[in-house]
Amino acid sequence: MSGTHAVEADSLRRAFKGGIEAVRGIDLSIERGEVFGFLGPNGAGKTTTVRMLCTLLPPTAGSARVAGVDVVAEPAEVRRRIGVALQEIGLDPVQTGRELLELQCGLYSIKGADARARTGELLELVGLSDAADRRTKTYSGGMKRRLDLASALVHSPEVLFLDEPTTGLDPSSRLTVWEEVRRINAAGTTVFLTTQYLEEADHLCGRLAIIDAGAIVAEGTPEALKAEMGHDVVTLALGGADVAATEAAVGELAGLERVVAEPDGLALYVTDGAGSIAEIVRRLDRASVRVGAISVSRPSLDDVFLQATGRRLEGAGGEQAA
Amino acid sequence: MSEALLLGRRAVREIARYPEATIPALFIPLFFLAVNIGQVSETFPDTTPFLRGQGYVAFQLPVSLMFAVATASSGLALVTEIDLGYFDKLLAAPIRRSSIIFGRLAADLVRGLLGSTVVLLAALALGAHMESGVLGAVVLVVLSALFGVGYAGFGILVALRTRNVQATNTSFLLFFPLLFLTPNFVPFERLTPLMEALARANPVSYVIEGLRSLVIQGWDPDKLAACAGVIVAMGVVLTGLSLRAIATYDR
Repeated sequence: MSGTHAVEADSLRRAFKGGIEAVRGIDLSIERGEVFGFLGPNGAGKTTTVRMLCTLLPPTAGSARVAGVDVVAEPAEVRRRIGVALQEIGLDPVQTGRELLELQCGLYSIKGADARARTGELLELVGLSDAADRRTKTYSGGMKRRLDLASALVHSPEVLFLDEPTTGLDPSSRLTVWEEVRRINAAGTTVFLTTQYLEEADHLCGRLAIIDAGAIVAEGTPEALKAEMGHDVVTLALGGADVAATEAAVGELAGLERVVAEPDGLALYVTDGAGSIAEIVRRLDRASVRVGAISVSRPSLDDVFLQATGRRLEGAGGEQAA
Repeated sequence: MSEALLLGRRAVREIARYPEATIPALFIPLFFLAVNIGQVSETFPDTTPFLRGQGYVAFQLPVSLMFAVATASSGLALVTEIDLGYFDKLLAAPIRRSSIIFGRLAADLVRGLLGSTVVLLAALALGAHMESGVLGAVVLVVLSALFGVGYAGFGILVALRTRNVQATNTSFLLFFPLLFLTPNFVPFERLTPLMEALARANPVSYVIEGLRSLVIQGWDPDKLAACAGVIVAMGVVLTGLSLRAIATYDR
């Protein structure tokens, strides 16, 4: 790979007909060997970014290099160096798993005995040897995703793009895909992974960027991003208590940065969670508010997302500045 | 080129694995052949001058051949792959985009050869005979199949432009006016003046005339040249437009 960067993007931008700007000038710098997460809600611009980096969609402005190669100037060379598993599982239902992988090998100039050997190796790797000679239309969602992953690996790519690889999978299949991603990365492949699952980003990614409305709003390691929050989260399970009364009772708490209303509770963002508990209890008691439970936690990536975008990623309730 | 062969082999495999997509398409031409003969063989007996001593089945054979080969199968296969996401997988591979089209056209060639052979055999069984002999039969089948390949470009073009299964499927219907504004039932000179003018302006007429000449006339270089010329021109134009559509897909 040329240089040390697996992916570099400079003011990358993509607009569609009607002036809709899906990606609004993003910068990326991903070292080789990383598992880089691209976290954001539906419609944030994740897939458009991946499609530009994979040469499937030309940027409207800006530039990008993947594996050291410019995506606009040398798209064919980029395609030789990358593997792609897009959000929609790209399988031909008429072919068997083995035929599909052998064809994929052929498209990357791996032929004859080499193609057969590589196919067998990949089928073994993703645990599909027994189903290899069945048509892919008979595969379960998890099997299809694993075969799609295998097809992206036939040529041992330098950079692997995975666009929401676990969306729609059951928890067990999701864990299997995570294991595959770790194994692929351990073998030296840089992984660029888009996801809307916080847990996935937290578990898999060494570094991540949060994208919202086409712009990157935060970037760093999951731990650093959480540490930058500089506060703890005290969660009050309301257990029937009145939301407004509870908010009013804790509203003037020292060190309180914000209060977020959630479906069945309140999240208080405070500088010192453990040290605030006694005061929170006193205030609730004085206001005669009885809550169901109180807990303290370190900030999560969801809190990071909230801080960066002003809303929760996975449908939490509204928020209110303290 | 090897990419196109690989993709062509895959597309041909589809024909074998989805006979339900090919067999119904053969029903229509065989149905038309049988119905048309049944309806007009009393009107046009073997003694009719333009039949040159053959039954009406020989006159109708080219029309049925064209029905057999002019399908939207490749367009439908392509638009299905776009829907499923496999098309993106192919675009992300380091291959020439044109190989995706040529792979599909290879399947059309095989489908056309099979379909036109079946229709020819049916017509022979119904009493037609090839005035141009066995070699003429081979040329008839090959020209028919090549017409199907040329026409397939239209379905592929619609698939790439619309990315819509329904639109691609109905694109086949556009073939009907082209086929019926021809000397399909009677020769040019037996048509009304308006229909004759329209038929003479319709390039498909010359394909029918060329194919028909092999069946009821023998070897007519002028008619065959016109037939081949139309097939080549149609192939160049429609395949060219398809290649342009795939080259500019998402560009």
